[in-house]
Amino acid sequence: MNPTASEKGIRRENSAAARGESIRRENFAAARGESIRREDPAAGCGESIRRENFAAGCGESIRREDPAAARGKRICRAKLSAAHRKNIRKLIVLAALAALAAAAYMLVDVRFGNPKLAAYAMRIRTPKLIAMVITAFAIGGASIVFQSIINNTIVTPCLLGMNSLYTLIHTAIVFFAGSGSLLAANPNLAFAADLALMGAVATLVYSYLFQKTKHNVLYVLLIGTVLSSFFSSIQTTLTRVMDPNEYDSLLATLVASFSNINSEIILFSVVVLAAVIFVLRKDLALLNVITLGREQAINLGVDYDRTIRRLLLGVTLCIAVATAMVGPISFLGLIIANLSRQLLRTFRHSQLIAGSALFGMAVLVGGQLIVEHVFTYAVPVSVFITVGGGLYFLYLLLTNRRV
Amino acid sequence: MFIKNLTKKYDGKAVVDSVSFEIPKGKVLSLIGPNGAGKSTVMGIISRLIARDTGLVEFDGNDITKWKSRELSKRLAILTQSNNIQMKLTVRELVAFGRFPYSGGRLTEEDEEIIGQAIAYMELEEFQDRFIDELSGGQRQRACIAMVIAQDTEYVLLDEPTNNLDIYHATNMMKIVRRLCDELGKTVVLVLHEINYAAFYSDYICAFVDGKVAKFGPVKEVMTRENLSQIYKVDFQIQEIQGKPLSIYY
Repeated sequence: MNPTASEKGIRRENSAAARGESIRRENFAAARGESIRREDPAAGCGESIRRENFAAGCGESIRREDPAAARGKRICRAKLSAAHRKNIRKLIVLAALAALAAAAYMLVDVRFGNPKLAAYAMRIRTPKLIAMVITAFAIGGASIVFQSIINNTIVTPCLLGMNSLYTLIHTAIVFFAGSGSLLAANPNLAFAADLALMGAVATLVYSYLFQKTKHNVLYVLLIGTVLSSFFSSIQTTLTRVMDPNEYDSLLATLVASFSNINSEIILFSVVVLAAVIFVLRKDLALLNVITLGREQAINLGVDYDRTIRRLLLGVTLCIAVATAMVGPISFLGLIIANLSRQLLRTFRHSQLIAGSALFGMAVLVGGQLIVEHVFTYAVPVSVFITVGGGLYFLYLLLTNRRV
Repeated sequence: MFIKNLTKKYDGKAVVDSVSFEIPKGKVLSLIGPNGAGKSTVMGIISRLIARDTGLVEFDGNDITKWKSRELSKRLAILTQSNNIQMKLTVRELVAFGRFPYSGGRLTEEDEEIIGQAIAYMELEEFQDRFIDELSGGQRQRACIAMVIAQDTEYVLLDEPTNNLDIYHATNMMKIVRRLCDELGKTVVLVLHEINYAAFYSDYICAFVDGKVAKFGPVKEVMTRENLSQIYKVDFQIQEIQGKPLSIYY
């Protein structure tokens, strides 16, 4: 088709379009008119390029009876927002569930008849509950973000080697400075050291390697796995030559469980998490686009490499917070992130992260409730998480459900 | 859009070697050539997915690296083959991503309207609430094109759009390409392996051999027996069907 002729054709169509009919969907002819571009605000619909124009050019004209299509479109839109509403309802139910678990955790077996005992129970339980909520949020959010960056739903940020780095840092501090040193004895200082070191290593190693390997996330994963075993071999070596008494006191901080929560650093963690979210708020908004892959993200105008670097750092810091709070728990992120994806079946990360965090709270607090009151501390909650997580992971693999 | 002296080396070997040409506005330009001739790399450089070593890609008076990525994404869209989307994403939601450069994820009324039109244009209404991973290859490809339409750019770059498609879907794809140009007035650049698709559906052809531009010009000028035999090192015969030169090779 002669291009100038088609341009003229477009212009000819314009005057018809200027009547503004093509916006109204009720209008039969207009609905078929398909105004694709709307640049002229005065005309209200601007340049509308009609299908009639070129039908000759492409042979087959694929027109449809439009009132039906238009009606279908309206119904679909209603359905779309229905799916959205349904997800929000699901999240509310989930939040209620998490709140219920929290309430049960706080109130079960409290002797309200004796105000002193009740106050004591509250004093013990409140920081634990807060710590679990923070952990659930940090791990849930970090896992979803990490999976979306890697574009794979069966990975966890533990693959970055952050857990082993954490144990290595603590072992090294006790080894070189001694368990009585300020760094080892003051939880806030120790936490600050963790964050600084883990953040620095993550930035250096992962950002650098990310650039070096031409942004191949698989390499980052592989390097994470290698670094993970590297860190743990150093840590094992250090513990072998360590003074047995020092090792004893070290073990208590390394095998932190939910019964032994590091509640001194709650305030610090909240500040760190808030700062991470604030600094990364723009990058987090890009997550939906990031999941389309590098090419599409760049096509849509996203500075992909920078965003990924920043998000990876954020993930590292969140994992550092969670690890420092309760020690390394590997499967939790995998479980709650996938449960959230399976329940919500959406790409909207605001919903996914909320779902993941809420699942985390329900699982952690509920699990701890059972551990404390049914098993009376005989089995730590991490055992449940690992066993349950392992089974769920197998289920994911075997059913090959693309969550 | 001008391309001047573009060079890209991998491990010292030049895969793109001082390539210069101009992309004619409002036309369909096909990049053809044997495997490893550098056509996809040139495409990647033009679309800022691959960094070049030297040379210039001038877009609307400015070098492409000087453009703000967000602004460029309103003028130039690229569709590559690697669309393995792991997300639970419906067709409509995918198409809605095309509006991201304009509204950054918060869709306005106008965006919704444009998305609806793009879906209607690609006849995807009945699929619009289906998940992408439940679609066939051809449908998925159409959904991606609808996204590009929603992106509303003057330039559309397609990297091997007919790959992995059967004859029916590949031909439909090429008709869509033609419509993008004729109906919507877009400039389309595509990398193609099937030279007859290139001959039948494009206005200009740029043939690459060993990282260099071997031939560039209107379809009829490039599609000659001598040219094609030189480019592909295979015997060719050219026949005219519906006024278009088509090649037969064996």
